[in-house]
Amino acid sequence: MSFETISNFIAAFFTLSIFSFLYKDNPFYKFAEAVFIGVSMGYAIPLIYKDVFTPFVYRPIFVESKFWILIPALMGSLYVFRFSKNLSWLSRYPIVFGMAIVGMGVPLSMHSYVLVQMRSAMLPFDNINTILIFIGTVSILLYFFFSREHKGVYGKVTNVGIWYMMVGFGASFGYTVMARISLLIGRIQFLLGDCLGLVK
Amino acid sequence: MAEKKISFYERMQALDRRYIYLVVALAIIIPLLIPFNSKTYVTEPSENIYKKIDSFAGRKDRAVLLSFTHDASTMAELFPMEVSILRHCFERNILVFTICFLPQAKPLMDYALQTAKEGYEVQSGIDYVNFGYKPWAIFVPLLLKMGDDIAEAVETDDEGRIVNNLEIMKEIKNYNEMNLIVDFSGSAAGLRWITYARAKFGANVALGVTAVMAADNYIYLQSGQLTGMLGGLKGAAEYEKLVDVFATHKELDENGILKPAPREFSKEIIKESWIKMSDIKNRQHKTARIGMNAQTVAHIMIIVFIVLGNIGYFVSKRKTEKVS
Amino acid sequence: MKRQIPLLIVIILGFIFAIHTFVPHKVSADFFDWYQTWIKAISPFMVLLGIMSLTMVHSTKIKRKVPNWQYSVVTLLSLVGTGAVGFIWGTQEGTPFMWLFKNVQMPMGATMFSLLAFYIASAAYKAFRARSAEATVLLVAAMIVMLGQVPIGIKISKWIPEISSWILNVPNLAAKRGIALGVGLGMTATSLKILLGIERTYLGGGD
Repeated sequence: MSFETISNFIAAFFTLSIFSFLYKDNPFYKFAEAVFIGVSMGYAIPLIYKDVFTPFVYRPIFVESKFWILIPALMGSLYVFRFSKNLSWLSRYPIVFGMAIVGMGVPLSMHSYVLVQMRSAMLPFDNINTILIFIGTVSILLYFFFSREHKGVYGKVTNVGIWYMMVGFGASFGYTVMARISLLIGRIQFLLGDCLGLVK
Repeated sequence: MAEKKISFYERMQALDRRYIYLVVALAIIIPLLIPFNSKTYVTEPSENIYKKIDSFAGRKDRAVLLSFTHDASTMAELFPMEVSILRHCFERNILVFTICFLPQAKPLMDYALQTAKEGYEVQSGIDYVNFGYKPWAIFVPLLLKMGDDIAEAVETDDEGRIVNNLEIMKEIKNYNEMNLIVDFSGSAAGLRWITYARAKFGANVALGVTAVMAADNYIYLQSGQLTGMLGGLKGAAEYEKLVDVFATHKELDENGILKPAPREFSKEIIKESWIKMSDIKNRQHKTARIGMNAQTVAHIMIIVFIVLGNIGYFVSKRKTEKVS
Repeated sequence: MKRQIPLLIVIILGFIFAIHTFVPHKVSADFFDWYQTWIKAISPFMVLLGIMSLTMVHSTKIKRKVPNWQYSVVTLLSLVGTGAVGFIWGTQEGTPFMWLFKNVQMPMGATMFSLLAFYIASAAYKAFRARSAEATVLLVAAMIVMLGQVPIGIKISKWIPEISSWILNVPNLAAKRGIALGVGLGMTATSLKILLGIERTYLGGGD
């Protein structure tokens, strides 16, 4: 038995242990789940040490003698106080440093998600589809305007919005089915192809 | 007699979910075991990514950045896309960079590179470079810094080399040269490239997304914020086909030897082309297309489930109405 | 002061970045470089939150001997074991660390989500009912999109992929744009609230 076969066998064991949950909750599933959580977290530690801590903290301080890097490094270590009752306020400092980039997010997200989208919704009515897109977008925006009761003509317009949304949700659902099935196909391809060599 | 029929529908309604699970498993296992050839139809968002990448062929002043923003949970859909785009780049001498911002994405990125490299004599630092894993916290700052200078932003590659000293960087400075970013993700994470790289620097952005996210991204395709999109396993199958039909196309020379003869994208050729799955020897080059066979059966199964469930529901409802 | 100083940092830095978006002056570009170095040095410590949270939850379970506490031991052993393997043998391709990822973490991560295929099929049979005209429209659109995505769609009728594409590019697009505009405005408003110090939940509880 080759090393690859043993490796595939172990991977298949964990795959089937997770699948066993479909029958009912059982010790195999619980064991696999526990291992999964531990390995996932444990995996990140050495990787972050090697790819983040070493180049961005250790090397600048101890190799390049940039001792001022100690200040942000010490600030980063304040994260450990997050779970402390009395000192949790110290963990706010590293958090706010990450949060500050939001200043750039305000104008850029306004541009990307609002202004460009509004411009694209108001294209010249050169065909029936651009008209339909415009009607749909406006009626949905009106539907989400809750300051006015959805009655009379206004109610009829917002109703059009509901129909558009139903078609949109249907499209998302159709795509979601495809996504979920694809993931299962991937696992069955692994079991039948990589483990048993039955998929050519 | 009629009563017996109704009870059958009621029984149908209360069917144990585990029977349904069994049908689902069989609907996928059988088509994978008994493969059949089905034609993959290529859509415009996939074509656009292909054409954009292909326009960089052989150029040293153009490059593609592939950003891996997903873990193993969405690998079945995204991995075949990644492999086929990398194959396209290696086949057509297109400079390619890879980067990831999640620790879980790092081995998947390495695995995709390793799989795609098979059969190509490409060299790290010359034909491609793996920037490696960078922490999520610096995603936006790094993305913005790339607008000025990629080498300065990334500093070192996965092998610890100074990026600025690499041969591949000779004619590549910022988004003007690395003029296409393809982000692979199962979330809206890829949209950050639109918010920052596209809005501030005018970079071309394309997405490889799981099918769950695909329907939401049509607005960015229409607005031109996205150059193209690969949606789920179907998108991956489309790109696999595009690579096979155009980039890795081979023709017989005057001595009757099959030689690489890549050709330009053409709607007519892709419409008419038909590739037999058994002719493709490497399973990694056709994973998505094999998967689409099972997908066909599974979609029909789901539709049948919806129809049967509704028949049972309406018959039971009518019976209840009659009784009351 | 415990809240005010952090808030002040967000406001000052945030406004500098907002200005930098429109006026990329050398001074603000240098400032941005400085910020990047700081954030890089801060970032590796974020992992401490995850480790501490996981360790605290599971060690409490073990201490209190709650039902199934034995699995918490497995979780902690896996956490320590994987970390140790990475530190001892390295994280490169071909090491036991990568073996663990490829044969333990990766198959389980992929399988966890693939369970949803079974649940969605079960839901299709048991829950997706055409109870109203709107629900019927949703189901019909879903079925057309499903058929349009797979090769058999065009075999049934050449119109199926066409209609599917139209659904995605017209009514779906309008629906998603309407929703996205709302989300976009919401996102901008939330960012602005953070920038102005109105939204403070990210600071956590306490003084």
